[in-house]
Amino acid sequence: MNQTTQQVEKVIQQRYKAGFFTDIESDQIRAGLDEEVIAMISAKKNEPVWMLEWRLKAFHHWQTMTGPNWAHLKIPGIDFQKIHYYAAPKQKNRPKSLDDVDPKLLETFDKLGVPLHERARLAGVAVDAVFDSVSVGTTFQKELKEAGVIFCSFSEAVQDHPELIREYLGSVVPYTDNYFAALNSAVFSDGSFVYIPKGTRCPMELSTYFRINARDTGQFERTLIIAEPGSHVSYLEGCTAPMRDENQLHAAVVELVALEKAQIKYSTVQNWYPGDENGKGGIYNFVTKRGDCRGDDSRISWTQVETGSAITWKYPSCILRGDRSAGEFYSVALTHNHQQADTGTKMIHLGKNTTSKVISKGISAGKSNNSYRGLVRMARRADNARNYTQCDSLLIGKTCGAHTFPYIESSNATAKIEHEATTSRIGDDQLFYCRARGLGEEDAVAMIVDGFCKEVFKELPMEFAVEAKALLEISLEGAVG
Amino acid sequence: MSAILNKLAPESELADDRYGDIRRRAHQRLMQYGFPDLKTEAWKYTSLRVLEKRELSATGPSEAGQPATLPFEADVIPMANGLIDPDRLNLPAGVRLEPMAPADLINLDYGDRAGAMAWLNLARFEQAWRLVIDATLERPLVLAMTSSSDFAASVHPRLQIELAAGVEAVLIEQQADRGAGLINIVEDIALARGSKLRHVIQRRNADSIWVQRTRVTVSADADYRCHALDLGGRLVRQDLSVHLLEAGANGEIDGVAFIDSKQHVDWHTAIDHEVGHTNSRESFRIMADGTGVGVFNGRIHIQRGADDSHSDLNTANLLLSESARINIKPELEIYAEEVTASHGATIGQLEDSALFYLRTRGLPVDQAMALLKYGFAAAPLENAEPEALRDWLTAELETVL
Repeated sequence: MNQTTQQVEKVIQQRYKAGFFTDIESDQIRAGLDEEVIAMISAKKNEPVWMLEWRLKAFHHWQTMTGPNWAHLKIPGIDFQKIHYYAAPKQKNRPKSLDDVDPKLLETFDKLGVPLHERARLAGVAVDAVFDSVSVGTTFQKELKEAGVIFCSFSEAVQDHPELIREYLGSVVPYTDNYFAALNSAVFSDGSFVYIPKGTRCPMELSTYFRINARDTGQFERTLIIAEPGSHVSYLEGCTAPMRDENQLHAAVVELVALEKAQIKYSTVQNWYPGDENGKGGIYNFVTKRGDCRGDDSRISWTQVETGSAITWKYPSCILRGDRSAGEFYSVALTHNHQQADTGTKMIHLGKNTTSKVISKGISAGKSNNSYRGLVRMARRADNARNYTQCDSLLIGKTCGAHTFPYIESSNATAKIEHEATTSRIGDDQLFYCRARGLGEEDAVAMIVDGFCKEVFKELPMEFAVEAKALLEISLEGAVG
Repeated sequence: MSAILNKLAPESELADDRYGDIRRRAHQRLMQYGFPDLKTEAWKYTSLRVLEKRELSATGPSEAGQPATLPFEADVIPMANGLIDPDRLNLPAGVRLEPMAPADLINLDYGDRAGAMAWLNLARFEQAWRLVIDATLERPLVLAMTSSSDFAASVHPRLQIELAAGVEAVLIEQQADRGAGLINIVEDIALARGSKLRHVIQRRNADSIWVQRTRVTVSADADYRCHALDLGGRLVRQDLSVHLLEAGANGEIDGVAFIDSKQHVDWHTAIDHEVGHTNSRESFRIMADGTGVGVFNGRIHIQRGADDSHSDLNTANLLLSESARINIKPELEIYAEEVTASHGATIGQLEDSALFYLRTRGLPVDQAMALLKYGFAAAPLENAEPEALRDWLTAELETVL
């Protein structure tokens, strides 16, 4: 067992592979947060007046709010005046095609394994790459356009499709929703926009890759996905940041709208820099993600693999408004060293015959704390609604914590809710069984952890499943003895 | 919730007895923190707003109704309208009742506003009793808490119950409120090494607001088992925390709450494994009918280093009407590695197929429903011992079905 622990430590101590820094000239707005900074962000993006007004309303509302303190997290004070709210790699004009993009940027994404480059585009995934505050390029735009799909950066969408933005922006997550959503609404700089027209099945996976590079900046992106009736889209999201001693803030908002019979599948592999083994540095990840199943028979599925960030505060949710709509949440959250995660989901059943399924797997190691916090609410008219929730936690070592806080509320006598949760370590008997079959200790543990997470991994698109598995192996291989 | 604070008598009117300093300190804390509202996590589903509307007198009527007779022999300590008359007691051998020493109360801490009702109790208790059980009891000891129909006062009874090492006892809290006041009880129960306590809470209230905070500490090899049958009341809030302090300690809670129209029952239980080699189990069921609201918050906390602890919590709940509501929150907070902890929770309704089965056997709908409800609710009471106690609890349950 001791040997295993040492092996684990060795593997876990591996360098954070995405922790490099790209030395590129950057265009920043001065640090601090006030109306002038917000106006400058808006001006840099050449936004219409209504957009600026919305940002300012959000900012004024944010000023009246206080940060959340209910999560099982120790959140150090964040000095919002020290952060640069806008940083973009310097380039004269927005590149018209990827050939115009600064090769240094392309190299960065190449190193991260993101298929921006022509030869890598064979992977067949359309990518929007966001570097600090701006999108640097979106691939496969022509092919998507042929299918009628709009996939572009948020800034472009504000220019090119203002009617859609005005209709849907803030309709799922209003700027009054919470402290970090209000902050994001005031200062968001870019993000992705997806529009799938009626009856269209998006011809390929869509993906956004977020990279924080510049020092003392925060990243505040906004993603909006609209799936018209009968459409289908699968969207992937990945993120990394350089290794730094100081903490950086990431406060994103994701809004999904699924109309009648539409399906949205949203997958995330979150690998922000988690800080070093002493808890120094790392990203504070405060994200509001919510999907609205507005139409009957619509479906939204969230899958997340959370391995990074010093602090994760994230609850991807589904509002099941349409009758027979369905929500799913599959999550693997891994914390190590001094990482803290308070993550889970909300399933709000409003419509009749709505169903939801929640599978959450938490793995805690080192001195970390990993909490599942979830809400299942059956509203009064949610006749025959169903929910099934399963939360399993795995503890590795004696100094970590694994917690479960499910809120279950039912106001409908025909609704059914089932919830189960377990907390345990990898059993010696399981290890022994695998070892007796000739597997090395590391392989045995990898296999058991893989099995523990399998229900979630099988929900990930192929490209991500491989990445997620590798990520988990780096962090945890042989972790339990 | 400052309206409740404003209604409280000022500090200068607190009784200036030998507990005076304790009362003033508690009053100051209460004024500092205020009462909980729906934003206070521990009171998220239960509002104390009803307190704002009630005009409560400081003292209640002197007489209270008689407790219902029990179908088995028992020693009874009557607590009428929150007060125990020590002159009218006939305690069995090995049981002592004496006023608590101020030294036992001076360092208490109930935290912030979530503990406001306990601070209120400490500031305003009328009596603080220490009940010591030194010898194994042959008959159950019954604490019969009754209130009369004209009861409209606020009372704050305070009890400290101690079981000496190796002692075995059955303690029944038989609570029958008929009034419309506030009964705010704080109760501490300590089980010394190797002792065993079966703690029964049987409650059937009327319009009073009933807030009870029970804290149990369990020493080495001691065994605490709670059997609760809560048949509702206008507003009931029960906090029951069981602290397993030493290796070998065992804590179990089995409870049922049946809630009908215009009733709100909130059970907050917590089992705290402070050291390793401790075990706990909990099973709690709620049935809510009419416009009743049921709340269950069950927390399992395994502290750092409490290896080889095992805990399981199960809660099943039935919504019996369109307007009833049930909110539950089973929590796990685990800081030790070599443990097993799990919980399961469901909210649903009576199965149509089961109902159909009984109907095909010739049972009328009402009877079939009652049988199914009984089958559901009686399960946690099955563990109650001795048999006479179990029969009494299940018979009480039957009366409401």
